[in-house]
Amino acid sequence: MTTGKRVHVTEGLFEETADGARLLGSKCATCGSTYFPKSPVCHNPKCDGSAMTDASFGPKGNLWSYSTQHYAPPLPAKFDEPYEPYTLGLVDLPEGLRVLGRMSTDDVEGLKSGMDVELIIDRIHSDDDGNDVVSWMFRPAQAQA
Amino acid sequence: MRDVAVLGVGMHPWGKFPDSSITEMCRYAVEAALKDAGVKWPEMEAVSAGSSRFSGGKGWGLNGNDVVEDMGPTGIPVYNLSAGCAAGGNAFDIGHMLVSSGMYEMVLVVGGEKMPKGMIQLSGVDEETDPEYLRQVAVGMPGPAFWALLTRRRMEEHGTTEEQLAKIAVKAHQNSVHNSNARFRQEFTQEDVLNSALVSDPLRLYEICPVSDGAAAAILCSAEEARKHTTDPIWVAASAVATAQFDDGIPRGLASPAPAHGRAYHSEALLAVEGCYEKAGVTPKDIDLVELQDNTVYYELAFPEEWGLCEPGEAESLLESGETLPTGKLPINPSGGFLCFGEATTAMGMFQVCELTWQLRGQAGKRQVPDAMVGLGQTLGLGSNASAVILKR
Repeated sequence: MTTGKRVHVTEGLFEETADGARLLGSKCATCGSTYFPKSPVCHNPKCDGSAMTDASFGPKGNLWSYSTQHYAPPLPAKFDEPYEPYTLGLVDLPEGLRVLGRMSTDDVEGLKSGMDVELIIDRIHSDDDGNDVVSWMFRPAQAQA
Repeated sequence: MRDVAVLGVGMHPWGKFPDSSITEMCRYAVEAALKDAGVKWPEMEAVSAGSSRFSGGKGWGLNGNDVVEDMGPTGIPVYNLSAGCAAGGNAFDIGHMLVSSGMYEMVLVVGGEKMPKGMIQLSGVDEETDPEYLRQVAVGMPGPAFWALLTRRRMEEHGTTEEQLAKIAVKAHQNSVHNSNARFRQEFTQEDVLNSALVSDPLRLYEICPVSDGAAAAILCSAEEARKHTTDPIWVAASAVATAQFDDGIPRGLASPAPAHGRAYHSEALLAVEGCYEKAGVTPKDIDLVELQDNTVYYELAFPEEWGLCEPGEAESLLESGETLPTGKLPINPSGGFLCFGEATTAMGMFQVCELTWQLRGQAGKRQVPDAMVGLGQTLGLGSNASAVILKR
């Protein structure tokens, strides 16, 4: 049974805006290095700066690689029973981040390194109360057309 | 810094040993190393040990102290080194330093581990500030997916085939048949590997190392001490450890910098290996055999290229032409590697020291690399730790 209510898998990592999905992170005011999740400091060893500003990323990205998981993951990962294989992607964002995320596609065979993808927020499983647990995901960019 | 010899090595067989404690397994390896060296326990002046995550060590990683208490307390200093799967290599590096610095004449280095069943839970921290926890909860990423992403990228860049991935596992098992310490000692056909279950596409069950119990140890000593016991010691040409650099492109948390070079390579492993080349004064051409950490078949293709042992994109053709067999020009994992031994995380660096020593002595039987003079070992661990060692005769 589902309530249709959307619950973020964890707070503070992403948001759904009128302009689409955004990942919430930080940017170094000095060297421009970007971070997801937010970072209170810059980890670039060549940067002396420490002033960080909030930044959000997305929705455009480029698929670096992908992999479908044929075995149910161990805890603390959760999934709907019975387990259905899902695909993970590793995506380069133009803001300078390489981000992991679920892939949302009906055509896994059509995935290709180097293809354009876009960020969305969508359901990854249901919780015990029947709410839709949502997280950030990527889908092939042409799917929007 | 003075020369350091590997005077003796010892290994407990690797596999699942529900009836043996980690202490018993370490004792087996230590006693074998002492016997191999022709020395007695009270001659050890210090112990450097890998800290286990999963077993013994009083829950504090005090695995070296367990060994000392079991062998008989003599008051010697103990160094417990924690570096994930690189802990054994890290312990070796400190053990080497204790002797090369002139501080001690003879030390014991040991690593032992008993692993829980199933996929390794990388992080021991269940909280939302831990990136490993977050990537399991928010992305649902199991451990093998990390390797699968690297492998898929290589397939699309270099045209690596599923058959080639399988061939690496076939080669590993060919070697393991001749290694009595190996957990899996049967030959696999390419069909066997390709029929094994898909885990994280494109990687199959037989292309990923399982978890095992295991222990390995070595006695290191000064040249002066070594000459009292042997005319033909194995020498530590170099040892190095390293951690990763900021922008190597490896996805270690939820996100990492997307580097301008577009690639992903293990900078920690490269730095450790290059550190060894430099300290030993050798070039990749001088390396006669490699024992590298094959958590999955991917690394047998990527690492030799990243370390200059072959040209970029050449690894598949070396594999296809049999050059990575013990009799080839770039023998990789003649032991059978961790595909056949399984991953006893904190013992792995010491496993490699044992195999390299046997190979350089010419004691490796039917898996022997002919006329091996110089051997390279490498491990990789959580926290972006890596170790490398070059032994020579």
